[in-house]
Amino acid sequence: MSDTALDYRRRIPLITRPSVAPSPSLIRWSLRIVTVMLFSAATAFGVSLGVSAPETSPTSVVQHPVAPTGP
Amino acid sequence: MRLPRLTATLILVLVWLGAALAVLQSFTTAELPIRLGASLVAHVTGMAAGYAAAIMLILMSRSPWLERGVGSHRLARWHAWGGPVVIMLTVIHTLAATQAWAEAGSLDPMAAAKEVLDLPGLATALIGTAILVLVGLASLRVLRRRISYEQWHFLHLLTYLAVAFGFAHQLAGPDLVGRQWLQIAWSLLYTYAFALVLRWRVLQPLFQLWRHRLRVEEVRQESPDVISVLMSGAHLDELRAEPGQFFRWRFLRGQTWRSAYPFSLSAPPTCNRLRITVKTCGDGTRRIARIPIGTLVFAEGPYGGLTSRRRRRPRVLLIAGGVGITPMRALFEVIDLPGKDVTLVYRASREQDLVLKHELDEIAERSGARVVYLVGPSTDTANDMSAPALNRIVGDLSDHDVYLCASPRLAARVRESLMDRGFPRQQLHEERFNF
Repeated sequence: MSDTALDYRRRIPLITRPSVAPSPSLIRWSLRIVTVMLFSAATAFGVSLGVSAPETSPTSVVQHPVAPTGP
Repeated sequence: MRLPRLTATLILVLVWLGAALAVLQSFTTAELPIRLGASLVAHVTGMAAGYAAAIMLILMSRSPWLERGVGSHRLARWHAWGGPVVIMLTVIHTLAATQAWAEAGSLDPMAAAKEVLDLPGLATALIGTAILVLVGLASLRVLRRRISYEQWHFLHLLTYLAVAFGFAHQLAGPDLVGRQWLQIAWSLLYTYAFALVLRWRVLQPLFQLWRHRLRVEEVRQESPDVISVLMSGAHLDELRAEPGQFFRWRFLRGQTWRSAYPFSLSAPPTCNRLRITVKTCGDGTRRIARIPIGTLVFAEGPYGGLTSRRRRRPRVLLIAGGVGITPMRALFEVIDLPGKDVTLVYRASREQDLVLKHELDEIAERSGARVVYLVGPSTDTANDMSAPALNRIVGDLSDHDVYLCASPRLAARVRESLMDRGFPRQQLHEERFNF
């Protein structure tokens, strides 16, 4: 990387740095929205897991094939 | 929007109610007439273990509802009690289910175990059980002393994997199949538990890292084996941390980033600075003493209810033992009472172990509060910390709120003595760090 490029890269943050910092209230609301979205996704995922869950159990002893006893 | 307050009693009622429903569920699917045998034991322990595993995740999710309503040390105590119960239930379930399979197929136990392992989802469930057993063994006091905190912590993180492995098996278990509403409810229990963990143990600290950009500003030697770490950052007032609270700190450097250490603030937080004071007694804490200036800090918190908000009585007694002075030092500066009726009793084995002494003296002089140093062997009657001795120091002990932070042994001694003398439990406020 040339000296010019290094210099340019160093200056980029100064040019693109936002002049207005997000307010605490905006931050708080953003976090609340993230929380609601996360739990909405958890609800959708949970419901879809439950709906597509198996209808028969491979571990049920009731359905276990009983071995023949005696001739 | 203010969060509704969840009390410990309410949480316990809900947890036990859920446990009763989960266990009763296994009776409704049992063959009639219900017989006490391996099959019934497998059903009951399986449902109870699956339910308790999800509850353990929720209790340790660091959700502010739980942390504020129940308190960190009580949650940790429930976890310490519930963790071994989950492991025992899982192991009993594994053995009983194999036995039930053997009985149903007229097989010997080894042949039954082999057959069971070939069933879908059972191999991963067994790996999950093995992880849980490993974590349980590592937490036994005998073995716990032989492994580092980092190794123990890493093993504990594996429990998330173990719980996830067990979930697929539970959903296809005979107690849930064919009852879609129950399968949905069970899935939601688990997805919500993991969402809580993701929200409060991952996203929140990441957000705080981005927002506050906390960095080590100074590492100061307070005594031969105690250091203070001063950290600076932006918008720290938004954390709403209070003196007496603690964070779990992760110093983002090669050897320290993997472990989160619980340390209390040792000075009241400001809008751009936080300070902790640490005893360097293990490999991890020694590494913190050598942490380079400028290191980024990932902080989870604030946690704990050892704050001045808990105060109910007109007078306050702060009791600190050794490095337990850290939350007390912060509280000592901010507890503001009419007449400044605040006494700090600070116990240490040697004079050089009295860390932050100059700060305590300065606060006492400025505010009119009192500091009493008890230095020397515990066999010395002058260093007695029983309820009658504390009563002699402060006058009418029953008129005080007592804040306590000390080594587990000293804290237990003080607590038992206070309780034996009929000191009201609600006037004793503690933070216990015991990992």
